[in-house]
Amino acid sequence: MDQHRLTEYFKRRMPHAREHRVVGLKRISGGSSRETYAFDLEWSEGGQTRTRAMIGRRDPTGGLLKTDREREFKVIAAVHRAGLKVPEPLFLELDAGVMDRPFFIMDRAPGRTGMGAFPAAEAESTRAKVADDFLSELARLQSLDYREYGLEILGPPKTPEDPARIQTAHWSEVYERDRMGEHHPILSAAFAWLKANPVVTDRVVIVHGDYRSGNYLYDDNGIIAMLDWEMAHLGDPMEDLGWASMTFWGRDELAGGLMEREAFYRLYEQKTGHRVDRERLFFYRVLGDAKMIAICLTGIRDFVEGRTSDSMMPFLELLIPQLLEDLANQLRLV
Amino acid sequence: MLRPTLNEVISGMQRTIMDALLPELTSPYAQGQAMSAIVMLGHAAAVLESAPAYDAAEIKDLRATFAALKRLGDKHISKKSGLRSALARAIRAGAKNPPDRRAMEAAMAAFVSAVALGDADDGVARHVRGYIRRNVERSRNLFGSSLPSA
Repeated sequence: MDQHRLTEYFKRRMPHAREHRVVGLKRISGGSSRETYAFDLEWSEGGQTRTRAMIGRRDPTGGLLKTDREREFKVIAAVHRAGLKVPEPLFLELDAGVMDRPFFIMDRAPGRTGMGAFPAAEAESTRAKVADDFLSELARLQSLDYREYGLEILGPPKTPEDPARIQTAHWSEVYERDRMGEHHPILSAAFAWLKANPVVTDRVVIVHGDYRSGNYLYDDNGIIAMLDWEMAHLGDPMEDLGWASMTFWGRDELAGGLMEREAFYRLYEQKTGHRVDRERLFFYRVLGDAKMIAICLTGIRDFVEGRTSDSMMPFLELLIPQLLEDLANQLRLV
Repeated sequence: MLRPTLNEVISGMQRTIMDALLPELTSPYAQGQAMSAIVMLGHAAAVLESAPAYDAAEIKDLRATFAALKRLGDKHISKKSGLRSALARAIRAGAKNPPDRRAMEAAMAAFVSAVALGDADDGVARHVRGYIRRNVERSRNLFGSSLPSA
């Protein structure tokens, strides 16, 4: 993104304002599926100068995921309207001519974040508040009626069997597409198992798709905003719970580095009023490991084939052995 | 030996990034990219050194596992499951010079899937689990276990 074009863009999108000025534009890490930029927008309106901290998320040339930014923007807008803790979405631009590739602009929430498990160095009181917020927000998300928020665009499953089948088929296709001729016997076996043991959901909810530690901003008072909604879809509530409690995102047997796993599930039950279905949870934890490997393979392929120059991409290779080991343990292959 | 060796080139490139490029970079994103390139080059150097032994051990283990499965005999491997033909392909792939590792892994995928689905005979499952255990151990040794998260 460049400062001049961005300033011109805001002049067009905010014609009521004057003296638009983009300040401190810089690319930042995080949100690996899109290029992410931080900046402040200054403008004058009604005789007053105003400033707002913003984030720009532009489609990448390559990377971890192939997702539709219009869907992502609409999901963020819907859950923001519903009162969930998310950054306010501001502008969606689908015309690639404006900034080379489509992008959207949203509010820049304050707070800090980690890369994976909740940082062990944080205070116990902060960890407890974040853990409680993490499950409260998930419960609120899963209580929303997607129809009420116009999210039929996400494609409602036609049968209770569909969520498991659709997700398995999608990630299996990603694996086949991006494995570059290599075979991963454990991963192949996991997909064979997932296809042979589909679970049936008891209700259809909005699934974040990447609901985990590392994808929220927080401070000492708890979670400020849940981020990275690009994989949102409609599906089984156990999918986000399974993903969030994967060994991979945890630390010292703490789900997400937040809370002992069984206590995490009990708190989920209290917050949602729904019991944790262990069979479906297990299915989605297996799917989660397989999905994460497929995501890594996409990033590696894009790096190898020159679609991205992000030097973090080759690190993904280092994550795969742990995920394969987790799968092997879950499926009793060792 | 030709000098610089590949490892020496990689070490030199790490120093170039650290000493010549990094001080000139002002954007935190670019600095982060440069730092991860340095770390990744270090990993590449380590893997370059240990990968040949890893590959050799992997191929040896695949061959040995398929040979053991072959010794179990046809009564342990049902024709219907497709595992007999997978085994035949794996044995042929292992006999090639150089061995066709991808073909062996493709055949192993069929056996591991059969174990995961509960479709494998106990004797077959024992050999396949043994291979997976060793494979996981080798990967852990090659890649390490204290890695940055995604």
